[in-house]
Amino acid sequence: MKQNKVSQEQRRQFMKTSAMAIATAAASGSFSFPLPIIAADSQSNDAADDVSWNKAPCRFCGTGCHVQVGVQGGRVVAIAGDKNAEVNKGLLCVKGYHVSGVLYGEDRLTVPLLRNGDGYKKISWEEAIKIIADRIQAAPERFAFYGSGQWTIPEGYAAQKFMKGGLANNHIDPNARLCMASAVTGFLATYGVDEPAGCYDDLDNCDVLIMWGNNPAEMHPVLFSRVVDRRSRGEKVTLIDIGTRRTRTTEHCQHYLEMKGHGDLAIANGIAHLLLKNETYSKKFVESYCSFKMPDEGNTNINGRSIDFAEFRKHLEEYTPERVEELSGVPADQIRMLGELFGNPELKITSLWCMGMNQHTRGTAVNSLVHGIHLLSGHFGRPGDAPTSLTGQPSACGTVREVGTLAHGLPGGLVVANEEHRQKAEEIWRLPAGRINPKPGFHTVQMWESFCTPKSAGGQIDTIWVQVTNPGQSLPNLNKLFNGKKGQDEKFLIVSDVYPTATTRLADLILPSAMWVEKNGVFGNSERRTQQWFKMVDPPGEARDDCWQTIAVAHELFDRGVPGMKDRDGNFLFNIVDPQTKQSVPVWEWEHYYDVNVDEQLFEEYRKFTRFKHKDLAPYSEYVKARGLRWPVVERDGHWHETRLRFAEGFDPYVSTGKGMQFYHSTTKDDRAQIWFHPWIPPPEVPDDEFPFMLCTGRVLEHWHTGTMTRRIKELSRAMPKAYIEMNAADAADAGIRSGDRVIVESRRGSIQCVAWIEGRGKPPRGTVFVPFFDETIMINDLTLDAIDPFSKQPDYKKSAVRIRKV
Amino acid sequence: MNSERNAGFSALMAFVVISIAVVGYFVGIQSPMNPVTQPIKSDSPLVPHHSATTAIDKVSVLPAPRYSEMPNLKWGAALDRMTSVQNAFTQRVAFDPTAVIVVTPGEKEFALAMRALNRAYNGAPPTVPHPVDQFSQASCVACHETGFQGESFRIPKMSHAYLQNCLQCHVESNPGHMEASEFRASTFVGLPAPTEGPRAFPGAPPQIPHSTWMRVECLSCHGDSSYRGLQSTHPWRQNCQQCHTPASSLEQAQIGEEPEFLPPLKIEN
Repeated sequence: MKQNKVSQEQRRQFMKTSAMAIATAAASGSFSFPLPIIAADSQSNDAADDVSWNKAPCRFCGTGCHVQVGVQGGRVVAIAGDKNAEVNKGLLCVKGYHVSGVLYGEDRLTVPLLRNGDGYKKISWEEAIKIIADRIQAAPERFAFYGSGQWTIPEGYAAQKFMKGGLANNHIDPNARLCMASAVTGFLATYGVDEPAGCYDDLDNCDVLIMWGNNPAEMHPVLFSRVVDRRSRGEKVTLIDIGTRRTRTTEHCQHYLEMKGHGDLAIANGIAHLLLKNETYSKKFVESYCSFKMPDEGNTNINGRSIDFAEFRKHLEEYTPERVEELSGVPADQIRMLGELFGNPELKITSLWCMGMNQHTRGTAVNSLVHGIHLLSGHFGRPGDAPTSLTGQPSACGTVREVGTLAHGLPGGLVVANEEHRQKAEEIWRLPAGRINPKPGFHTVQMWESFCTPKSAGGQIDTIWVQVTNPGQSLPNLNKLFNGKKGQDEKFLIVSDVYPTATTRLADLILPSAMWVEKNGVFGNSERRTQQWFKMVDPPGEARDDCWQTIAVAHELFDRGVPGMKDRDGNFLFNIVDPQTKQSVPVWEWEHYYDVNVDEQLFEEYRKFTRFKHKDLAPYSEYVKARGLRWPVVERDGHWHETRLRFAEGFDPYVSTGKGMQFYHSTTKDDRAQIWFHPWIPPPEVPDDEFPFMLCTGRVLEHWHTGTMTRRIKELSRAMPKAYIEMNAADAADAGIRSGDRVIVESRRGSIQCVAWIEGRGKPPRGTVFVPFFDETIMINDLTLDAIDPFSKQPDYKKSAVRIRKV
Repeated sequence: MNSERNAGFSALMAFVVISIAVVGYFVGIQSPMNPVTQPIKSDSPLVPHHSATTAIDKVSVLPAPRYSEMPNLKWGAALDRMTSVQNAFTQRVAFDPTAVIVVTPGEKEFALAMRALNRAYNGAPPTVPHPVDQFSQASCVACHETGFQGESFRIPKMSHAYLQNCLQCHVESNPGHMEASEFRASTFVGLPAPTEGPRAFPGAPPQIPHSTWMRVECLSCHGDSSYRGLQSTHPWRQNCQQCHTPASSLEQAQIGEEPEFLPPLKIEN
């Protein structure tokens, strides 16, 4: 409240200044000064000197740009692109430039709120913590934690330890399940270990960039600029867009391959077919470093079954360019063009993808296939030759994939199902042997389905605590997976957030959180880069760090004698010791939370996990100095060195001398990567007479995910006020729909109303439509299908059959 | 449109299309706030171009009509407008490097206040006060590569080197596809622009009071296509940084070394 007052004063001041400017201009019309020196009593603020600037990664996407944050009088007042950051080299996108606004929406949550009928009553933090502890204590196995790739690494690590180490409960999963789970299974199936071998440097070095169902001009603009701005310097780079609609990205590309949904499976197989048929695959690379696999029928797992080269070749025989054209809609000549590019060993080829390949009921398959054609052709392991997946959240890699906040995971790439891994975790956490539950918990879709199912009907989850995400808008098929909670008194939804959202609509307890530079944090971006920042301003009202909230609940349970909250020495699970005094700090008391750097302490403990899978992190203090470092970060000659290219000799410190390439986490234990065959399979839902259009959902440049932050930033909200539906002009003409007409869009699961925008931001081909999901009043996820990839359990938001009629 | 009207207006249409081609279909034009020709009146409203209550002709942005609007256009008014736009482009103000520019404090504050209207804070990328082509960046460069100063309007010149994806940073402030009226309130207050740089003494050349990052083209803001209140008083000088130095504190120094000096002389008493 105090802050609001200040800001209104500031605002008035600004208005006064402006008014004065005009008045002065008028008054001084007849005078002239040789030097325009402003009067000393001018209200204009020249005191840029008292602005302090500090580094932080941007709050939004997984690119991981660094910004310089300008703070004055306890408030963020300006942003600048960080020139010293390798990722963005001083450039940002429009969201990044306006990221300062995320803190200052007038409706910030500032006090804990408990449901009271249709409304809420204010309660104290002590009461709130007790209520959560009561719910957990009553039925610890029926409690679930739902987080995200926006958790900082220490926040995710604390939640992970609390659940798996404390409650012996594996029902913790992140929204990243909806976002990049198939990228993870693709990496695991191929290399035996997660995350890209390459990094963003490949964008500077590639001759050909292939974007698979990806629109980086809007979604990862800084990375896209990193490529297209090479042209301004006279460099040549061939851009290829394989997509389901024309976008801003398409306009920069030499080739646009317009495919039908699931066409990517056929295209990748078509490329492999041509490499084999033309004998242009890299015999040396394949013989030295690769084996072959295909799915094991009836036994869905990412190890599949090994096959020999002859069988691999046999399965690909049917994927001739003509057959691929039938399946994908992409002309055979364009398939041949791709085959020739991959068959040319002189070129350096980088593949980029994000949601197009991940939000896909065959996501694991298509991820594996794209890795496969890079391996088969030998376009791997040189700068510029890399298959690289991007992430949508700032710490999807850091917090979800590396800290392992997934239902089956443990930190550092370990898994709960592996006894040896559990022992390692129990050792680091100093837990009694056998504490960690070997059975994976519920993945996202299961968790929410179980939560929406009454106990009497077999629902196994009663309480979910949501931190840093908005499932009430981002889950697919919301009527089934989220809205079903409504009216069920036995179910209890706890939401920690910064603003009221579509999720808080059904929340029973709302906790106000600190965000971004209101707290310390560490993120991990898409190129394995771990990035640290410090708290710069205070959170508003009683808002507090998510990490503190978790620790406070854990301590409440510890006080109540819940045995899981003690380690085997009888200490509290989060025993934070001041490095100077060697005394335990009561960080569960908010007033002591910043007496010590909790982030640093948790990070140093987490670091111990990162050695097992060669994802080594440097000490916290190294990240304080750097604009992020790409793991594995290894100490050599007294310095910490990052790694640009994994598995390649000369780049990766874990590759033995003389090996050339070494996939040291190979699933076949022979240092080989796996080249997979997966057949083309049609999407689970395709348009028919009743629902004749294929609906694709996604993002736009101005808004980030569910828009809870960006829609509170005027510049962004003004540029993109509301969601809309993109239609093909010919389809619209047939239906008598013009730009600006209101239409009803319906699927088998729900319906929305919005306006049509023809020839707008994107241009979908006939029979397809696109609706962005940022708008909390146009819930396109009421319509989307909840079918999931069998390996990764990730849903497909890109292919739902809908019908459209004018209102 | 029926065929009679079609025939009747064909000549007019041709003229309009040519006019549009001249202006660029998606080009809007910023105008009459330029004090060169428009003396500032005390009652001049300082209206943001994106203010919901202002009509297009009030806010100095003159977009070409959309094809979809053409059937309903009042052609007389449209024609006047087109003609005035066309004329405006022929009325380029000749750059006179020897002109003595005198800037009043009032003009300067006015210029800064105008500039602040489409920037969230000093250093933020300005939003675009006219409709944009959703796809092509070529139309941006057509005008903003060189900038333009006409008698009744101006086009600011890019302050940085050409970057290929213009719309990545510069978004429409008044989008054509949808009316932006309702917003979530925000208490964000951006850093205002500095009003002047520090001087060693009165009359000394001021230091540059802002970062020069993405602002390498000084004349973008201080040249003849900018607001008068920001213009250089000595346009005949070409080498700006000869006298006006950037402040290292604002430049995100790339090398994190502190300057060192030899120790002072030891002088015995």
